Amino acid sequence: MSTETLRVPEPLIRAGALIKYNSLLRLRDPSQLISYLVAPMVFMVMFQPLYTKALSYGSIQAVTGQLMMFSVFAMSIVANSIFVEREWLTWDRLRASRAARAELLIGKALPVFFVLLIQQAVLIIFGWAVVGMPFPKSLWLLTLAMCVWGFALLGMGAMLSTIVRSRGDLFVACDVGALLISSIGGAILPVDLMPPWAQAITTFSPGTYGLSMLRSAVQGDVAGTLQPGLICLVIGLICGAVATFRLAHGWGRSHLV
Amino acid sequence: MLEATDLTKKYDEVQALAGFSLSVAAGEICGLVGHNGAGKTTFVDMVSGLLKPDSGAVLVDGVAPHETRGEIGISPQHIALYRPLTVREHLELYGRLSGLRRKALKAEIEELATAMQLTSFLERRAGLLSGGQQRRTQAATALIHRPKLLLMDEPTAGADPETRQALLDVVKQRADEGAAVVYTTHYLTELADLKASIAVASHGKVIARGSSAELLDGLPGEVRVRTTDHEYHRATTDPTAALLELIAHAQGTVESVELRNPDLDDLYRSLAVSDVH
Repeated sequence: MSTETLRVPEPLIRAGALIKYNSLLRLRDPSQLISYLVAPMVFMVMFQPLYTKALSYGSIQAVTGQLMMFSVFAMSIVANSIFVEREWLTWDRLRASRAARAELLIGKALPVFFVLLIQQAVLIIFGWAVVGMPFPKSLWLLTLAMCVWGFALLGMGAMLSTIVRSRGDLFVACDVGALLISSIGGAILPVDLMPPWAQAITTFSPGTYGLSMLRSAVQGDVAGTLQPGLICLVIGLICGAVATFRLAHGWGRSHLV
Repeated sequence: MLEATDLTKKYDEVQALAGFSLSVAAGEICGLVGHNGAGKTTFVDMVSGLLKPDSGAVLVDGVAPHETRGEIGISPQHIALYRPLTVREHLELYGRLSGLRRKALKAEIEELATAMQLTSFLERRAGLLSGGQQRRTQAATALIHRPKLLLMDEPTAGADPETRQALLDVVKQRADEGAAVVYTTHYLTELADLKASIAVASHGKVIARGSSAELLDGLPGEVRVRTTDHEYHRATTDPTAALLELIAHAQGTVESVELRNPDLDDLYRSLAVSDVH
């Protein structure tokens, strides 16, 4: 085999460089991830007795509910990682480099997607080992569900970061948005226990589908996972398309407030 | 190397470029000067491939900018660095994105760090650098891959004299090696130091282009006479006659006489005034 055939394609090397340095940026600012790991662990342990008394799937609700809630909060990690590119004026420098749009997007998205997966995996393991959640019946189904949910969060976070006008806007959108999405989605009060009018509005929250998908995946229910999973996928695709358009075209000469 | 023809660009109601044309040959340093809002940065963004013109065309080495981005080095007007990354990591990132690998990348970093006086803070994070150090780092990221076209948008703004000189030396060296350089600045003495040709931009187009000698020809210099009572000065193209006249009419004893040849500041002022009128 000649040396020529062993050469790694240039786009892969460039995407690899972007992944490496974006991962470094995440590693050097780990506080958000740590807080979004520790807080749900505490809440899982606190709420587990309550949910176990109220629901037949109480321990699963305790784990997946908090996981969903704090993974939506972790959307701010995605949003922040893109927002700083606007704030530091670095995105246009990357756009003017030899890297293609797809390479830039992959380099930006993969590290934060991986962070979202790690968060979910750690919380699932904690839920099983400490909170008493039954061991997932199908690991591949759960992995698929976590990937789809991570993709939806990635799309939503990326879209937010490209449309807000200031860091203040971003904080409000992420914090209030996370609270609304997760609470309406049944992270705190399970949908089954909500009054009818509240149950009616849960269909408008992506959290409803995320929680339903994750809970079904833990229970090994393929149909119950795929149906809400499809909706999460569509949400991720639509939000991702908006974000991709904004990222690919830059912000012109508009400035952040 | 760079051929921009009749570029126009409008942001809402603001006409940023209105028939902007400029060509820069390989090995040439073109100093692009003009008041704030003259269209310099819009032009640089267009050549970088970040902005599309409403009309007109830009060619870099015969092709559109987005097809030859790897051959362009850009140092933008504003500091655009990743605060948590070190200087070395910045150089590695932009070097790798430009196709440099392992030994070649390492060698370029070492050489550039020495030339730009970055060596002492190569491992320091960008957020902890002084303004001058950030400027040098940013310029170095534009130079790391030895681009054929260098776009330097006010690269020495706010920099100390030492920083400025280090950067100017490297820019001169790169031009000597064949790079075309577009260098926007408000410090006109830098252009004299770089022996740059000049393009004066005003209201979205280039209103004067040539060597500094060509552009300064015919411009008035200044004669100053200081006496014990007063200071007299006159703009003139005939310094001898002006000097004699000032001395003849001066009150008090003459203490000093100063003759100043026209410089780029005079050119800039005269063109800006004539363009406004």
